[in-house]
Amino acid sequence: MSARITQRITIAITTSALILAACAPATPAAPAGEATAPVAAPTTLTVLCTPQEDWCQAMVQAFEAKTGIKTAYVRMSSGESLARLRASASAPEFSVWFGGPADGYIAANAEGLLEPYVSPNAANVPETYKDAAGSWTGTYVGALGFCSNTDVLGSLGVEMPDSWSDLLDPALKGQVVMAHPATSGTAFTAFWTQVTLDGGDIDEAFTYFADLHKNILQYTKSGSAPGQMVGRGEAAVAVIFSHDCVKFIDEGMTSLALSFPSEGTGYEIGGVGIIKNAPEPEAARMWVDWTLTAEAQEIGATVKSYQLPTLPDAKVSERSVVLSEVNIVDYDFVSAGENRQAVTERFDAEIAPAPKE
Amino acid sequence: MSSHLRTVRQWLGDWTLSGGLVLAVIFLALGIVWPLLRMLALSLSPEGLAEFAVVLGRGTFQRIAINTLVMGAAVATLGTGLAFLFAFVQVWVNVPFKRLLHWIALLPIISPPFAVALAVISLFGRSGLITYRLFGLRYDIYGLDGLTLVLSLSFFPAAYIGLLGMMRALNPALDEAAINLGASRWHVFRTVTVPILVPGILGSFLLLFVEAMADLGNPLALGGDFTVLASRIYIAIIGEYDMIAGAVLSVNLLVPTLALFLAQNYIVNRKSYVTVTGKPAGTPRLISSPFARWSLFAAVASVAALIVLIYGTVLVGAFTRLFGIDYSFTLDNFKFVLFGYGSQAMVTTVILAGIAMPIAALIGTLVAYLVTRKQFPGRNALDFASMLGLAVPGTVLGIGYVLAYNQPIEVAGITLLPKLAGGAGLLGGAAVIVLSFAARSMPASVRNGTATLQQIDPVLEEASLNLGADNGTTFRRITLPLIRPAVLSGMIYAFARSMTSLSSIIFLTTPYTKIMVAQIFTEADAGRFGNAFAYCVILIAIVLVAIALLYRVIGSTTGAEREASLGG
Repeated sequence: MSARITQRITIAITTSALILAACAPATPAAPAGEATAPVAAPTTLTVLCTPQEDWCQAMVQAFEAKTGIKTAYVRMSSGESLARLRASASAPEFSVWFGGPADGYIAANAEGLLEPYVSPNAANVPETYKDAAGSWTGTYVGALGFCSNTDVLGSLGVEMPDSWSDLLDPALKGQVVMAHPATSGTAFTAFWTQVTLDGGDIDEAFTYFADLHKNILQYTKSGSAPGQMVGRGEAAVAVIFSHDCVKFIDEGMTSLALSFPSEGTGYEIGGVGIIKNAPEPEAARMWVDWTLTAEAQEIGATVKSYQLPTLPDAKVSERSVVLSEVNIVDYDFVSAGENRQAVTERFDAEIAPAPKE
Repeated sequence: MSSHLRTVRQWLGDWTLSGGLVLAVIFLALGIVWPLLRMLALSLSPEGLAEFAVVLGRGTFQRIAINTLVMGAAVATLGTGLAFLFAFVQVWVNVPFKRLLHWIALLPIISPPFAVALAVISLFGRSGLITYRLFGLRYDIYGLDGLTLVLSLSFFPAAYIGLLGMMRALNPALDEAAINLGASRWHVFRTVTVPILVPGILGSFLLLFVEAMADLGNPLALGGDFTVLASRIYIAIIGEYDMIAGAVLSVNLLVPTLALFLAQNYIVNRKSYVTVTGKPAGTPRLISSPFARWSLFAAVASVAALIVLIYGTVLVGAFTRLFGIDYSFTLDNFKFVLFGYGSQAMVTTVILAGIAMPIAALIGTLVAYLVTRKQFPGRNALDFASMLGLAVPGTVLGIGYVLAYNQPIEVAGITLLPKLAGGAGLLGGAAVIVLSFAARSMPASVRNGTATLQQIDPVLEEASLNLGADNGTTFRRITLPLIRPAVLSGMIYAFARSMTSLSSIIFLTTPYTKIMVAQIFTEADAGRFGNAFAYCVILIAIVLVAIALLYRVIGSTTGAEREASLGG
């Protein structure tokens, strides 16, 4: 009985293997068809998009309307994006990466995941906001700030913080929220800002965060989450990007107010770059060219994303924080990227688990 | 001539049988075994083994491992306590609103992750409506305490159903005998009832332990600085871009969950404690002491009130502009989910879960049939593999899927399987999500099917076979109609579980396949609790409507009844 069944199974498996094998020759035909596609005008584009969902949506719609190229996107955090690019390096699913901090692009480029492209429009972008070789070009910038809940501060009797040392006030015990540098580019920017302020001394920065730890309520996983926690009154001060704070205020968290550290603050550059072996290289270049136009850079503000355009001639929303009005540190993105792994691991081992007494 | 025909028919019959077996084997191989093997292969590769040493040596890992175990134990204890309390009151205590209490206890089963967590933050958090607004307390709900509460409330219904069935099956004659011998109610409860129920209690303890350890959504939403293995794996992949660390951590989560699951399976399946004789031996004697009655009622009613309060918050929150800040009424959240860019995720998720539903139920039933009714080599292996979808934490399986299906599978230059995962994968990555949905929800169908088939005497099928019907016909005409309720509940479970699963698909969403639960996570993280609550309400509504539809289509007239009435 069982021998007979085994025999039948063998037959069935062999048959299905044969069927699968028979199907196989059809697959290699597909890439051949794709290879001829770039000759004609591009018809599709797949974007890996890191900013907030509604911004991605607005960008994609505007690009579609402008070029007629059918554009799809998926929103992923910067870390997730890098993981996906790495995982599908041999057959990339995306053609272009838009948004997210420059350190992500620097890391991706170091692994050969990006295809350099110097857009003619990049000439108008200031030197500090782009890679000269074209592996990435900045499309927006935004400064780090303190996002405070004025109601909570009032009940604690604490003034709006306007320096990094203000955050160490014992009255703010358990009232400061920031993300974990290992999971959030925002928090890592805060860390590297301290390193910069301490003249490049990483140990000094760790001393500061060990002090700050006593006042920390929680290290959130995502960079902007501290803003909504403070917005809902769960704590007094969030260390987040200023444009995220303005967005939360516009979304109805009216007790929030923004301030900046007088010693100086860090900033992020949001990049755009083409992925190596992109399936739609022509459309990807069109996307990069387009994101470096004033028209494209003014879209963010329409969906309450108030990062600053990198193009001097793009209109700046009155809700945006202009960098020249804030004391900006001389942030070294390359050095930050190189030290990131070591710093976040040390933070995770030394700072985060320490008792908060 | 007729004997020749019969041989042909027999052969065809067996062919459907072996065909079914091949189908089930291929499904399990693709859906569970191959991804798991890929994950294990990476973690046991030289790089993986090196990472093992690094990961295990870190103090943070020990802290996370301890956190995971403490949380699992806390949830298992509280959850089992709740399940026992609710089941006990249902069976042995005469209290008002019994049916209502029963349905309230079942409510958390169909709720998406985050729903309970977000409501608890809004009610009991640092600026919670109850803790802060009402009592002026700045209670920090993030961490072990909040997680224990939320996970216990989310997972106790499954344990409750199990214990309820077990208590109802107890033979009241045992209690009667003890009471007749002069023992007090309390004494009987302690020395007769509880010992009989110990395996059931232990079983639900272990089940909740596994569920709590495997959960991802709640530790992300409510964990705060309290990191557990599942959220650490998520961070390794999403935050640190480190597949190898993810795989190594996955092994560390997989081993204990699998061990606990097997222990639980062993305990529950021993069955030696069940006093089912098939013949009712009297009705259970209800607890008569007014003090015991009313204090038990108070306990159950307050937990039920908490559940209602939490789901009420979800519902109210869905119509609120900004819960906690601006309580004005709005329909914007629903506009976003139903007509805004939230709608894409809703439609996609329903379609994919809908496709996975019959696949899971049919293959699950098929496996149950083969395992309980047929003898063949590898039967135990099939049985075991079919349970893995339930035992393996979703996060672990999700990593396995990414590793297994991010490139086409080729053997000797021939593509056996195209690239499945990711936007460039087959059908925009939808196929692999359906596969994941089906693999994760199939085990329930296997269990339902097995339990039902064990109650049906095989002589019915033997009679059919003796009368000349082949295996296929017998399965279709005799077995399937009899086990239709099991198939139905398998389908309901598959749909509900697919709609609410996060951990297994969070690494698999693509531009073309946005999944509701992942969108809820995005909205919650951005502080748009209103949108998240609206998503939860819509999701629960969709699942309820699907259940109602399934009952109408399949449940109203079971095949058995129709066949019986047709037959005479």
